[in-house]
Amino acid sequence: MEKPWPKTNSDVCIRCAACTAVCPVSRVSPKFPGPKQAGPGAERFRTPGEPSVDQWIDLCIGCHLCDMACASGVNISELNLIAKAKYTDEKGRPFRDWLLTHTYLFSPLGSLFSPIANLLLKSGTIRWLADSLLKIDRRRKLPRYESPTFRQWFKAHHFNSHKKMAYFYGCYTNTNEVDVAKATVEVLEANGFEVTLPSQRCCGIPMLGNGDFKGARKLGLWNVPSLLNSVRSGLDIVFSSTSCGHMIKHEYSNLLNIPGSEEVAQHTFDIFEFLRNLKEGGNLNTDFRKSSLRAAYFAPCHLKSLGIGFPAFDILQLIPGFKVDYIAADCCGLGGTFGFKKEKYEISEEIGRDLAEAIDRLKPEIVLSDCEGCRMQIRHLTGLKVLHPIQILRDAMTR
Amino acid sequence: MDIKTEVLIVGGGATGAGICRDLALRGIPCVLIEKGDLASGASGRNHGLFHSGGRYAVADPEASRECITENGILRKIAPHCIEETDGFFVSLPEDGLAFRDKFLQACEKVGIQTTLLNRDEVLSLEPELNPNLLSAVKVPDGAIDPFTLVLENARDAELHGVKILLHSEVTSLILDGDRVKGAKTKDRIRGEEYTIEASYFVNATGAWANQILKLVGLRIGMALSKGSMLITNTRLNHGVINRCRPPSDADIVVPNDTVSILGTTSIRLEDVEHFEVTPDEVSLLVQEGSKMIPAIRETRFIRAYAGIRPLFLSEEKGDDRAISRGFVLIDHAKRDGLQNLITITGGKLVTYRLMAERTSDLICQKMGRNTACSTHSNPLPGASRPAGLRERFKQFSAARGEIVCDCELVPRKEVEELLGTEKLRDFQDILHRTRLAKGTCQGGFCVYRLLGVLHDSKMLQGDSNKILKGFLEERWKGIRPILWGAAVKEEELIEYIYKGIFNF
Repeated sequence: MEKPWPKTNSDVCIRCAACTAVCPVSRVSPKFPGPKQAGPGAERFRTPGEPSVDQWIDLCIGCHLCDMACASGVNISELNLIAKAKYTDEKGRPFRDWLLTHTYLFSPLGSLFSPIANLLLKSGTIRWLADSLLKIDRRRKLPRYESPTFRQWFKAHHFNSHKKMAYFYGCYTNTNEVDVAKATVEVLEANGFEVTLPSQRCCGIPMLGNGDFKGARKLGLWNVPSLLNSVRSGLDIVFSSTSCGHMIKHEYSNLLNIPGSEEVAQHTFDIFEFLRNLKEGGNLNTDFRKSSLRAAYFAPCHLKSLGIGFPAFDILQLIPGFKVDYIAADCCGLGGTFGFKKEKYEISEEIGRDLAEAIDRLKPEIVLSDCEGCRMQIRHLTGLKVLHPIQILRDAMTR
Repeated sequence: MDIKTEVLIVGGGATGAGICRDLALRGIPCVLIEKGDLASGASGRNHGLFHSGGRYAVADPEASRECITENGILRKIAPHCIEETDGFFVSLPEDGLAFRDKFLQACEKVGIQTTLLNRDEVLSLEPELNPNLLSAVKVPDGAIDPFTLVLENARDAELHGVKILLHSEVTSLILDGDRVKGAKTKDRIRGEEYTIEASYFVNATGAWANQILKLVGLRIGMALSKGSMLITNTRLNHGVINRCRPPSDADIVVPNDTVSILGTTSIRLEDVEHFEVTPDEVSLLVQEGSKMIPAIRETRFIRAYAGIRPLFLSEEKGDDRAISRGFVLIDHAKRDGLQNLITITGGKLVTYRLMAERTSDLICQKMGRNTACSTHSNPLPGASRPAGLRERFKQFSAARGEIVCDCELVPRKEVEELLGTEKLRDFQDILHRTRLAKGTCQGGFCVYRLLGVLHDSKMLQGDSNKILKGFLEERWKGIRPILWGAAVKEEELIEYIYKGIFNF
């Protein structure tokens, strides 16, 4: 028999409100009561089998900062996600949410016809239509498609080594930020690893964030056997998107209870965590060119929730002359599809204001972050150039 | 200030409040005097079990019959005080099925509707129950909010002209031949003393009955039995859970709003003022309770409390549970030759209305009046208001204003309304009238906020540090017995707040 969704123990909450102190949403919007109330507090009032009445649960952005702040170990965001799933299952998700969580289905087409697709995505009329018909906020720039896709590029790419790695690149990287994946491959190759690409689909985190557990689980059930195959043939897996990584390492097992996911999680690493392990073993290629760039690094929430520190920030320090500041701000506010939704756009932007101001104080030439969502939001808020740290590392490598 | 009235009722529990409402509806002027707040004795310190009568069906069919009749009446007149959850008498393997069969027969005789459920049926309704159970009998038990019940009775009485004196005690009774002429009373807050003259006196003081009777040199045979209970942090059961066996220790779990209440013990007491929940009782409650609901072993408790059952002794019996839970109405004219004094005691919360009816009937008979009781068909004020957990959560979700109590979702507006409408005289009075401080942190966070609200509305009287200290001492009494696990952490935090921030 399948185990039911885990019942997190909200009994151990001591009401200290440390979680509410770090919640980005309740900081900017009175509509969301904050994790203490929305999570363990509301659990005392929820009656199984009765329809949900907590419509504000939809405002949980899914950053997991509350879980990290909790001194009693309550997985608050998990309680929120379960409640959100129940609420959205009952209420039904609009077509807009389906569209935002199924981009993996049509992004290859977007890439194939990228000149036209990008024109359309930029067009004021289309954005006006999306805003008024679909409630996708027109102030939000829609990401551009690139061609060829990473997978297409990789097909024509050859590198052989007896040391092999598997790479979970994620669907956004494949069609919208191809260079991040290329850089990941190139850095791994500079360290003597041959990269393989296990077959993969969207990790499912957008669906999970929209309360669609069933859809997310379906994708997880598709990905895990494929990843398990790589693991069982002796390969470690790296990811370059911390959100995909968070999904694979945590939610597949914790929340979605996907068979084999724990074994996959043990062998799956953030790309910089992997490089840092190499460095600790004395095996990292540290032959870097001098750089005079002044950068600022922003740690995504889903990196923090992995509990591995800030490996990219550590490794970037190895580049001679490269100056990188740590941006002291929590949560960019995009929250994946959250910030695209018309009714949530203002909350999203307001959360990001802290981050934008922190960046402004540092005045960097360039901003770095491991998550595509954070990069999108920082570009949107500051207009600065924003890259994945792996791109900087690749650029610094003397080949 | 001296008062003259027709009937003086001593004791502001369910019985006293019920009597003054009954008399008021019959048009008989009366005054109620209570030394503390309303429902501060056994009426406010019980399980909150809305009995069907099932528990007494086998051993005490008379009490049981009273329960089921009143059960039906209260559903009509006080729906906002009752959660109609049903109850389950669960047979565990160690109980066997012999008692169950007796139970089913007894219920049928008394007129309690039962449904026999098999293991799977009951587990689907109550998933936290011991999966090894044999069967369960469904009866129309429920959960009752005793505070609201008593308060609404008192409010309705006041609407009909009854004067209610709280925090006032009877210090002596003035005799005039074979009649009581008046009562000397004292306001315990202001210290003011005055006399209340009345034609009839009702002693509805429950466990304190002999203390009043002592004032006229009388005494009745009464046993005081302490029952201790534990409150869980989250609600574990939907309906009331009883063990299907002869009533014993720790065999009831009653759901109450956000929590479940587990009880009780039965321990003879002499002192009605000073008692506490002992470690042995806590162990017993957890051990026995977890046989019905295994999660009780792991769950978090937020408070322990005890109440005193006043049990009337017609003859000495060994086990207090064998003494009838029926009530006793004593006409001291017949018993002791004191013409106008009546004592009403014993009984159950569920039968409070019947007790009030019989008492009022006796008074009417003595007065030579022929006015019929109407409380069985006259709903309490506020009887149509929606109640319940989901409703409260819905209101919180829909229009979230400032919240004073995070755990129980008590909005500031509710507190301000309460302060505006009721004549509250003591800090604890406020706590009796809301769910404030009844949740996870037991008022650790909301009580200082409440002081802020009182300050803002210029209603704060006296030294606020002293008020807080008084509250914390009372709170500590309830928390000390359950201090393990998460509760210890909670206390460390609360202690830090009060000692570290408020410099206590």
